[in-house]
Amino acid sequence: MSDITITGLKTGQEFSKVTANRKDSGKGFDEVMQDAIGKISQIQNDADNAVKELASGGDVAQAIITMEKAEMSFQLMVEIRNRLLSAYEEIMRMQV
Amino acid sequence: MNSFIVFEISASALGAQGQRMNVIASNMANAHSTRTQEGGPYRRKDVVFSSVVLDSCPGEFKGVKVVDIATDNTPFKMVYDPGHPDADKDGHVAMPNINIIEEMVNMMMASRAYEASVSTFNMSKAMFMKTLELGRL
Repeated sequence: MSDITITGLKTGQEFSKVTANRKDSGKGFDEVMQDAIGKISQIQNDADNAVKELASGGDVAQAIITMEKAEMSFQLMVEIRNRLLSAYEEIMRMQV
Repeated sequence: MNSFIVFEISASALGAQGQRMNVIASNMANAHSTRTQEGGPYRRKDVVFSSVVLDSCPGEFKGVKVVDIATDNTPFKMVYDPGHPDADKDGHVAMPNINIIEEMVNMMMASRAYEASVSTFNMSKAMFMKTLELGRL
């Protein structure tokens, strides 16, 4: 965490340099989050399909396990959201 | 996802034990079948398990799969029953080479193995859920 910069204090030119650097050094936080949410959505769709397949003679154990996986990944997402929100609230409570 | 490997492995075990139960049910149902499509009495079937690398989790951790349903070639039981339509000229009928008690024991083993896999699954899920509580006050 040595490269934390408070971008608000920089001039516009330097700010665009910082954001450009971020793009070079890999995915930003927002992209990582979007990827993760996309994956969770995919798992939810898998669970949906597994339940639909049950009607046409699918495997019960497989369907239940896919549903459990969907539940667990969803719980993980909710937990991440809770932590993010509490961090945000902590910052908003900060005295200036 | 990496943390789901244990669930894939448990799922493969559940599927394999389910297939074993299918075979045992077939043996039980046909314990007295003297006629089959191939001719002759029903022959006992048995599952062959093999450890396999699952597509979703390559590496050291192996799932299990039923690779073959083998036929048991032990001799048929000869029962004296002259009134039976399939009796030979001495009055003996060839009955399937199935021992109901042996099948019951196999069934209990399949059921226990299934339970064990379910326990593995539940315990792993409990561990996953506990992980989410890390650092929570």
